[in-house]
Amino acid sequence: MVELVPTLLRQELARLAESDTRLDGRGQWDGREVSLEVNCLYNAEGSAKVVMGKTIVYAGVKFELRTPWPDRPAQGSLMCSAELRPVAHKKYEPGPPSPESIELGRVVDRGIRESGCIDMESLCIVPGEKVWGVMIDIHVLSDGGNIFDACGLAAIAALRTAIVPAERFDVGEDYTLKVKGAPIMASFTRVGGRYVYDPSEEEELGGDERIHITLGDEGHLHSLQKGLRGVFTPAEFAEIFGVAHLRCAELRKLVALQEGN
Amino acid sequence: MGGYGDVKLLRDDGLRLDGRKLDEMRPVTIEAGILPAAVGSAMVTHGLNVAVAAVYGPMEAHPRKIQRQDRAVIDVRYNMAPFSTSDRIRPGFNRRSREISKVIAEALESVVLVERYPRSKIRVEIEILTAEAGTRCAGLTAAAVALADAGIPMRDLIVGVASGKVEDTVVLDLDKAEDNYGQADLPVGILPNTGEVAFLQMDGDLSPDEFNLAMEYNFKAAAEIHEVMVDALKRRYEGGEN
Repeated sequence: MVELVPTLLRQELARLAESDTRLDGRGQWDGREVSLEVNCLYNAEGSAKVVMGKTIVYAGVKFELRTPWPDRPAQGSLMCSAELRPVAHKKYEPGPPSPESIELGRVVDRGIRESGCIDMESLCIVPGEKVWGVMIDIHVLSDGGNIFDACGLAAIAALRTAIVPAERFDVGEDYTLKVKGAPIMASFTRVGGRYVYDPSEEEELGGDERIHITLGDEGHLHSLQKGLRGVFTPAEFAEIFGVAHLRCAELRKLVALQEGN
Repeated sequence: MGGYGDVKLLRDDGLRLDGRKLDEMRPVTIEAGILPAAVGSAMVTHGLNVAVAAVYGPMEAHPRKIQRQDRAVIDVRYNMAPFSTSDRIRPGFNRRSREISKVIAEALESVVLVERYPRSKIRVEIEILTAEAGTRCAGLTAAAVALADAGIPMRDLIVGVASGKVEDTVVLDLDKAEDNYGQADLPVGILPNTGEVAFLQMDGDLSPDEFNLAMEYNFKAAAEIHEVMVDALKRRYEGGEN
């Protein structure tokens, strides 16, 4: 699809930025309402659905028995991937995984993996022979903007509710997967010359580069990624880094709240 | 990041295993214009890493669906040669190389004056011949020099450089062991003249203070590498055999 240049939209977004508002009336650092539902997919061992404005994503966790990597004989494995199917937006086309979907899956994967929330050695059944492979698959059903944060949230929420299906594989009793902490992603896009948190579909269309920050429970960085065309200054980064701490803490509370239900 | 500190990476005298100080980078050499068939090219050696970049174009952008009516697109392929690592790499694009290609392309589109070439494509091919940690940074630096060598107008160069963390200590420019067994890696692409950042990735574990120190190291190293880049371009065009 040839992308039309949204000149009028860009002008409008620049005008709004000058008066410190956004198309949907939000403040610069305000997120849209987020709803999170866990254990919503019967055949997945762990699952979550996230609705963020017009964005809807599902994440499902599946397990498989596999032989460990030769250099990590006593460790299981974790893999997170995302699909951007044509169902999600007119801009997505059928075919092999696009660079966009690969980037999305890998950025979410790194945030979860690097936070150390899964003890890979706890996934070992017989060293050198048999370990669990944990697969998180993220399915975007509607791209209404900021799918990165929605996917990151769905992935960790699904993982935190996962039950290891040991009985079905004849290796003991089922048990709850142990997950320590909840890495959360906060994404920012330059819109009308300034960064905003949680960009909408229109803001992404008429915006520039984006920055994704994944923070662990202690406020440590576990993943960073800059995407699309554009540059930023260290001072701009410092400002959104501060905002990310606040927004991630709020979403982490939401994850804990859902698990309590 | 791999082993999380179960391997000793700092010596008792506070230096690193290869004798470097915490804020010392591996030696970098750059040569511009090394590939006769390309419009522009460069080879970067960064420690043991060897990255070669070639630029072709601007040319008509096809398939047509990648065309942009208002600017050129930069089509980057980052590829590791099968013999570039200790275990042979299966030839072809994998998920890692696709992602790196995408973010390097976006970083280069941030500095090239792409509005000068609507509907066209600039091809940037990055081949890693030897990989010893830091190949995306060496590749990015090589691509920037190759674009300049091709005479493509740019706002600034981009310098690829990384800092990270080993044994709870922030260090500049991770080598292979530090990358495998360290705790964090923060590769960035810095515009040396404006001080802006066009490429940013990170994985591992960094506190806000550690991040700030790692960025400080990155900026310092970028200034050093920038001099080597400029020197390479000057050598290419100042009364050489060109």
